[in-house]
Amino acid sequence: MDFNVLSLLIWLPVAGAAIVIGLPRRRPELVVPVAFALSILTLGLAGFVVVDFDLSNPGFQFVEKTAIWSDLGIDYNLGVDGISLFLVALTSFLFPIAIVASVNITDRRKEFMATLLLLEGALIGVFLSLDLILFFVFFEVLLVPMYFLIGLWGGERRLEAALKFFLYTALGSAFLLVGIIFLSAQANDQFGSPTFNYLELLNLDISTTTQYWLFAAFGIAFAIKVPLFPFHTWLPDAHTEAPTAGSVILAGVLLKMGTYGFLRFNLNLFPHAAVELAGFLAALAVVGIIYGAVVAIVQPDIKRLVAYSSVSHLGFVILGIFALTSQGVSGGVIQMVNHGLTTGALFLLVGMIYERRHTREISAYGGIQKVMPLFAGFFLFTVFASAGLPGLNGFVGEFLILLGSYARHPILAIIAAVGVLLAAVYLLWAYERVFTGELDSDENRALTDIGVREIGILVPIVALIIFLGVYPKPVLDRIEPAVERVLDRIEDRTGFDSPLRISDVTTDGVEVTP
Amino acid sequence: MTEISYLAIGPVIALTLGVVVILMVEVSFKPSTSWLAATAGSSLLGAFVLGVLQWAEAAEDPVIRFRGMLALDPFAAFGAVVLTVLGAVALLVAWPLVLQQGRRAAEFVALVLLSLTGMILMAAAAHFIMLFLALEVASISLYVLAGFSRETAEAGEASVKYFLLGSFASAIFLYGVALSYAATGSLSLYGTAAFLSENLLLDSAALLAGIGLLIVGLAFKVSAAPFHMWAPDVYQGAASGVSGFMTAGAKIAGFAALARIAVTSYAPYISDWAPAVGVIAAISIVVGTLLAIAQSDIKRMLAYSSVAHAGFILTGLVAGLDGVPFIWFYVVTYAFQVLGAFAVVSVVSGPAGTRSPLTDYAGLAQRAPALAGSLALLMLSMAGIPLTAGFLSKLYVFREAVDAGYLWLVLIGAVASVAGLFFYLRVIVLMYMNPQGEQTAGAAGSPGVSDSLRIALTGVAVVTLAFGIVPGPLLDVVTTALPL
Repeated sequence: MDFNVLSLLIWLPVAGAAIVIGLPRRRPELVVPVAFALSILTLGLAGFVVVDFDLSNPGFQFVEKTAIWSDLGIDYNLGVDGISLFLVALTSFLFPIAIVASVNITDRRKEFMATLLLLEGALIGVFLSLDLILFFVFFEVLLVPMYFLIGLWGGERRLEAALKFFLYTALGSAFLLVGIIFLSAQANDQFGSPTFNYLELLNLDISTTTQYWLFAAFGIAFAIKVPLFPFHTWLPDAHTEAPTAGSVILAGVLLKMGTYGFLRFNLNLFPHAAVELAGFLAALAVVGIIYGAVVAIVQPDIKRLVAYSSVSHLGFVILGIFALTSQGVSGGVIQMVNHGLTTGALFLLVGMIYERRHTREISAYGGIQKVMPLFAGFFLFTVFASAGLPGLNGFVGEFLILLGSYARHPILAIIAAVGVLLAAVYLLWAYERVFTGELDSDENRALTDIGVREIGILVPIVALIIFLGVYPKPVLDRIEPAVERVLDRIEDRTGFDSPLRISDVTTDGVEVTP
Repeated sequence: MTEISYLAIGPVIALTLGVVVILMVEVSFKPSTSWLAATAGSSLLGAFVLGVLQWAEAAEDPVIRFRGMLALDPFAAFGAVVLTVLGAVALLVAWPLVLQQGRRAAEFVALVLLSLTGMILMAAAAHFIMLFLALEVASISLYVLAGFSRETAEAGEASVKYFLLGSFASAIFLYGVALSYAATGSLSLYGTAAFLSENLLLDSAALLAGIGLLIVGLAFKVSAAPFHMWAPDVYQGAASGVSGFMTAGAKIAGFAALARIAVTSYAPYISDWAPAVGVIAAISIVVGTLLAIAQSDIKRMLAYSSVAHAGFILTGLVAGLDGVPFIWFYVVTYAFQVLGAFAVVSVVSGPAGTRSPLTDYAGLAQRAPALAGSLALLMLSMAGIPLTAGFLSKLYVFREAVDAGYLWLVLIGAVASVAGLFFYLRVIVLMYMNPQGEQTAGAAGSPGVSDSLRIALTGVAVVTLAFGIVPGPLLDVVTTALPL
């Protein structure tokens, strides 16, 4: 590699934020095009990484490593593998959309766009970091732009929501930091020098008891981010009060830091604890699936409904990851991307109608597909994708997850399948109440259909939803080697035998090993 | 050991000369304030240069001078350099206040320089009597500075409270010295160390009581809980222009003295004093954080947060000598942050003001973006958000404490830093998001920022960010700034 493409992915948006802030105040019309161009450039870099990615290499690629504070063992260490690849791609894909979706923000527009770009850089940094301190720095520092995004440009109860979001996630990070420091202290004992390098920490020999504690310290931080069932209370407020772009990024990418963290750190660093606790976490995930869906059904506020649907959908991802089977984990990874696309699209759609009607109450609408046929079409399509209709992306992920988890936790998988059904209930019922029926209020009659810009925002997402639903192979090809490596490592370390390993199956589908 | 080394007292001589010249010229000629600034500046510059020379000399060959009274080692030299820089920034911050003092301006400047001499000697003292004298020089100057705007009742209260409780702490410290002397027969820090490493005490009760009292006395000075009761009233009652200097200077000097005593004289007894320090640290962190949440005045909030920070710094001390570089890193970066924060306060509520309700900060971002921006940065740093010096400070002391086996303390610290976010963020919310209903009449109008203050604030902000991103240079220096 001739140039450090991963560094560029992180620092281009950060530099972009500085550029946007530096634009002359007299030319406000420049802000959006410049921010958009920078985010498209970042997307181009991410596209380059996806295409240039070596399918046969299950390890980290495009690795960059520079010692920054060598006496403490802190490195600037970046790399991408099949697990992080599509999260980076998703991040860089959603930001240009979020920027275009926010052109109507007039209050401090420069600061808004700069905040978005900062957020993008930090998020990509989270997924690319191979040094635990670097990871933590990005993980923690992105709270600040997100906090301002909600607190400055959010809805009516924004201050409360922003504070709740910040305190909840910071509480999780506190445990994470202690866990990271403790891990490095272990490294100091065993290797004779402190290190925060993820690849070196993988060689640590951690006692089973310690693994439980560390699993808990990392797990709480990630469970709050996901959010896993009992830690989800910050999410509805933050999602509902955030501006549209904030909700898209929050649901689309930020939550994936939690699932990514589980997969990257908890499974790899603490395999014993992961195997022992997999059943417990899968059960929590299923509780989240059902709970999120049931609560979503009764929401009177459409944005809150979408927010609760995230709790349910992210439960599937966790269920897949802790199935510890090839299909389950791969399904979990691809479902992270799917959820980013569909929920991102749902928040965009809700934002579009909110801009017109300034209410999120489902009961205020009714019959608007007569005045907004295009909008209704896009909405119905996204609803189908989110509910897992075959042929669209949600189906691929949910099917793999259910298949993979049935082999390990059959009862949980059956209950989770009910969640798929419930998703159809809350989404279609919401559609019915908003779009069908009598068009009986004057405000609703005055609504205008979406314009070219809004269609332009939605079409790329729709295209990807169809593409991933029909032909997920290029994505799965890149994910699977990395997933296999994680499972190999767990089997190797713990003697755990994962059912349904792809490596156990020949190409024509016949099992060759018992 | 016997020859006189002027270099060992170089910075102190430069500052004392400055004080003498200022006071004598003031009596006879009534010079202008710019003359005052020039004299104080050159005296500080001289002290700074001599501190750097000390460093160059001591890095090669650390020695103890003046019959065991003063150490000429990198620890002392670093203390001198940092304290002179701090003094210079503090004077820049306090300059609007100095200009308001009229005929008392010279006394004010002289007192700041005088307290600096005491602080520098605290970091360099190698003898308990020397340390006590240095402590008193620094403290008495600070008592007077606390009540300098004596026209207000609060300043009087602050001064008296500080004086009474501070003298009490000095007495406790002295009692500790006496007990330690009774147990070891030595008043020298290094003599004590030598005695303790060569002899095994049959009954260490007197020594342990002495160590305990010494720690309590210095914990008082650095406002660690449960010996912090004076701090909020004093910092609030003192003029905003000097509160920052009082907090920052007392912290640097106090922790320097504490660290030197702990890791040299009583190093063999680390397993006895470290748990006690750990408990004080935990109490300070919890009490400081919880009480800061309840404050509605930013100066009291900063005072309680400084109690919590004293706890975090003590967290580094449980690791003994290994923790000293990171105590330096923490206390130095924190000192400049707290100085900067009080500098903003001195603009918003006036340099001589005492009360500073949080509501004054509502919408500050619109009225004074630069001021609000630097205060926001300092708040984020104190809260320990990455890319600021505050995050790295916490990371380092936590790491040392984990290595020393104090995981419980680190857990308390980590959780408390989250609770701390609550009140640091509240300031940012008020400044930027300006929730309705909290705006008061007092908050109207754009505060004017003097040039000196602008320079000081820019410097503090740059330092906070720079050492948060590239801590290497400072880290290299503090890892060698060890006591002899």
